[in-house]
Amino acid sequence: METEPRVTLPVGILGVGVAVPSLRIDAAEIARAWSASARGSLAVPDADEDTLTLAWAASLMALDAAGVRPDQLDGLFWGTTRPPLAEGPSHVFLATALGIDRRAGGHLSSGSTHSGMDALVSAWDALGAGHVRTALVVASDALVPGPGSAVETTTGAGAAAYVLGPVAGAPGMLAYRTTDSLPVVDRYRGDGAFATSDTYDGRLFRDKVFMPLVSRVAAELCRAPGADGGTGPHDWSIADPDGRLAPALARSIGANLISAEVTGSLGDTGAPAAFLGAMTAMTAPGSFAMVAYGGGRATAVLAGSTREVPGARGALALLGAPAHTASYPQLLRSRAQLVSSGDPVPMGVPPGSAAFVRGNLEMLCLRGARCEDCGYISTPPSIHPSCAGCGGDRMTIVDLARAGTVETFVVNETMPPPFTAPLPLAVIDLDDGARVMLQGVSEDAPDLAIGDRVQLVLRRYGVERGIPVYGYKAARPPHQAGVAPSPHQTDAARPPHQAGVAPSPHQTDAARPPHQAGVAPSLRQARNRGGSR
Amino acid sequence: MSWNRVAVVGAGLVKFGELFDQSYEQMAAGAFRAAAGHVDKGFDPREVDAVVVATQRGTLWGQEGIGGNTVPSALGISGVACTRVENACPSGSDAFRVGAMMVASGVHQVVLVIGVEKMRDKSSQEGLLSRAASGHPVYNRGETAPVLFAPFATRHMHDFGTTPEMLAAVAVKNHHNGCLDPYAHFRYEVTVDQVLSSPPVCHPLRLLDCCPQTDGAAAVILTSAEDAGRYTDKPVLVAGFGVATDHPYLHEKSTFLALPATVEAARRAYAMAGLGPEDMDMAEVHDCFTITEILDIEDLGFVDKGKGGPATLDGTTSLGGRIPVNPSGGLLAKGHPIGATGVAQLVECTWQLREEGGERQVAIRNGNALQHNVGGRGSGVSVVNILTRNR
Ligand SMILES: [Zn+2]
Repeated sequence: METEPRVTLPVGILGVGVAVPSLRIDAAEIARAWSASARGSLAVPDADEDTLTLAWAASLMALDAAGVRPDQLDGLFWGTTRPPLAEGPSHVFLATALGIDRRAGGHLSSGSTHSGMDALVSAWDALGAGHVRTALVVASDALVPGPGSAVETTTGAGAAAYVLGPVAGAPGMLAYRTTDSLPVVDRYRGDGAFATSDTYDGRLFRDKVFMPLVSRVAAELCRAPGADGGTGPHDWSIADPDGRLAPALARSIGANLISAEVTGSLGDTGAPAAFLGAMTAMTAPGSFAMVAYGGGRATAVLAGSTREVPGARGALALLGAPAHTASYPQLLRSRAQLVSSGDPVPMGVPPGSAAFVRGNLEMLCLRGARCEDCGYISTPPSIHPSCAGCGGDRMTIVDLARAGTVETFVVNETMPPPFTAPLPLAVIDLDDGARVMLQGVSEDAPDLAIGDRVQLVLRRYGVERGIPVYGYKAARPPHQAGVAPSPHQTDAARPPHQAGVAPSPHQTDAARPPHQAGVAPSLRQARNRGGSR
Repeated sequence: MSWNRVAVVGAGLVKFGELFDQSYEQMAAGAFRAAAGHVDKGFDPREVDAVVVATQRGTLWGQEGIGGNTVPSALGISGVACTRVENACPSGSDAFRVGAMMVASGVHQVVLVIGVEKMRDKSSQEGLLSRAASGHPVYNRGETAPVLFAPFATRHMHDFGTTPEMLAAVAVKNHHNGCLDPYAHFRYEVTVDQVLSSPPVCHPLRLLDCCPQTDGAAAVILTSAEDAGRYTDKPVLVAGFGVATDHPYLHEKSTFLALPATVEAARRAYAMAGLGPEDMDMAEVHDCFTITEILDIEDLGFVDKGKGGPATLDGTTSLGGRIPVNPSGGLLAKGHPIGATGVAQLVECTWQLREEGGERQVAIRNGNALQHNVGGRGSGVSVVNILTRNR
């Protein structure tokens, strides 16, 4: 198939972002449970993280880096192998939580790890056609491999996001792409199946599927117009299903593999893999290639930057940041593959209820009702027809600040399924004066304290009758760099990063000393309620 | 000048505990017979012309539609007027207040106030206190019962230097009192070390900081103050009461150092009774968790704000102390069968004022006793009743 390279219109990369789940596990620990061996470390989601929450965090980081507000986007292009709902409003849930205009376009690509590249290509084409001026592309995955399967010791999780726009003046650009395919059944999950499975013998996949297909798109990319005189770019990020294929391919085509470090620490992140591995290339000027594989398809993209792409350095730091180590049982619990025999506690109000139709916007957009008489902000608005501060009924719906200070908290240690202890719950004084009570994240449980600065991050509160329910949780930074920009908040007000994310052993003394001197001054709203106090 | 229009002429209860061998109806009948048997000059059950039932939730034993109206038949007095009062943890104390107002109105002459709760027909995993499904489906997800009080402990410890040892002192005291109360669920002593080494439940609270889930029933018989002499020469009068609500969600609390509903309910009750905290000889207060009793004794005015911990540690609230609190063992040791709890506290106050408290009898100097509950989502409601033996 030697044909003339097609012309591709270049588009600009305005900013990038990433997200990684909060837990890591050594592949060897998983393998040990099955009397096998494995190498490397894997990034794995906690029970309240999934592909949507990761996509949310990466998207906000990219938008922030690009200096683009969510309401300026013409489309959200989301690629994830396995969306949170096989059928359902996955795309609109993400778009709503991001604050993207509800009339904006875009679409959801899924079905294989090539879906991230599908999303990028779709946005690229929409920009090239002039239908879209500014697009958000996010690729994310938090796949569920079967326990004991070969893919279990390689499956990681993560997300990468690009804000794409006009090429003129953009710090980065997508220049050219090639794609190819083979009708093979490699990795799959049938209708109704919970876990992803592998079909082929590893050697068969390597010799007859991955290497020939990916070699072809790579070779064709090297012949691209302007691709460094037919030799192709020096730096290559190559999605790697097992941690050994990308180095082998790079050797065979004489490329410098830049994605090996990310693959080694996060595992095969699936849909975002090619993009995560390329973050390092965008910290300096130069050209690079990104190669995605999945579902019998491979696509190679020639990209480049004329200067550091906003977000790339922060992305790199986040990819290399230390994280909490999960045990294998904890990982299995978080994936609902190790389940308590007790009946799980149902949500008091099921997701099929009208309460969720009334309440989804205020939950996903994190809204409050500001009293026009006294300024008190009641949350959530739908259950506060009267001001909790003064009893008045003249309210304006507002977006809440996304950061605040812990006023008080508990750590719930005894919880029936589906909860997993320890679960912090905290009363947070937000920076706009509103107060909320939300769950915390498990990694903050050992040493959460009054006065701690927290950010509100989107998490999955539960999967109720198969339907994921999302809401915000309070997390101390650094957690996921993606923190929703608040209309009330300037950069200067962002919380300082707290040192040391390593978990300290849970204090066994009931006494947690009332340390935390120098608590940040509380912006608690004045509570001029009636009554005698 | 106290209200004193209504009298308690009989008060009784069943032994609290895991009453696996008694049905809801059997517990109710046991409490009624105990109260009737307590009436000095004899009591014919048919004299009851209205019943007020306090049961917080029938779903705890699989009876979604329990309406209280099943109780009179179980008591052998089918046909009387009957109303159920549900007001969260203060259900029993509010039923008492409602019963008193029914008598004071002149509409009813002899009112039975009976609290009944069946909590252990379901496993503790399925019980009320381990469920985390009340309130908003997302904003309140994960709020088990201790979550509604533990944030106050965190803040109280932070601001006032209240220590885990001070919290533990509440459990130690109430378990000791429970050993002296033949009706208590738990009748064993605990030490500070045992409390501090018990399993964490909801930081900063540990297992022995928490009350158990208990089956139980308690009853009092009310008449007008004028009619009381037909039944007893030692009537205990309703001196006053107060009820107050507060915002039901924790993030709407004006403070994490006090329970505003308690403060306001107490203010109203003291005003109605023409009495103050210094006039009380003892109190039965809501100690669902150790921190709750520390908040209560501050909010009720027995000790200064912030001093509840040290006061417990130094014996101020012990049986021989300045203001004995929870001589019955409290919710922590006697148990917390929700609807029955408040009524049982009023039984204890009645017995103490009549100096029928046995080994746990406190010194009656002023002749007044206070009973208190607080609860609901985010301590959104509190009831205070004040009893007196002074005419
Ligand atoms: Zn207001």
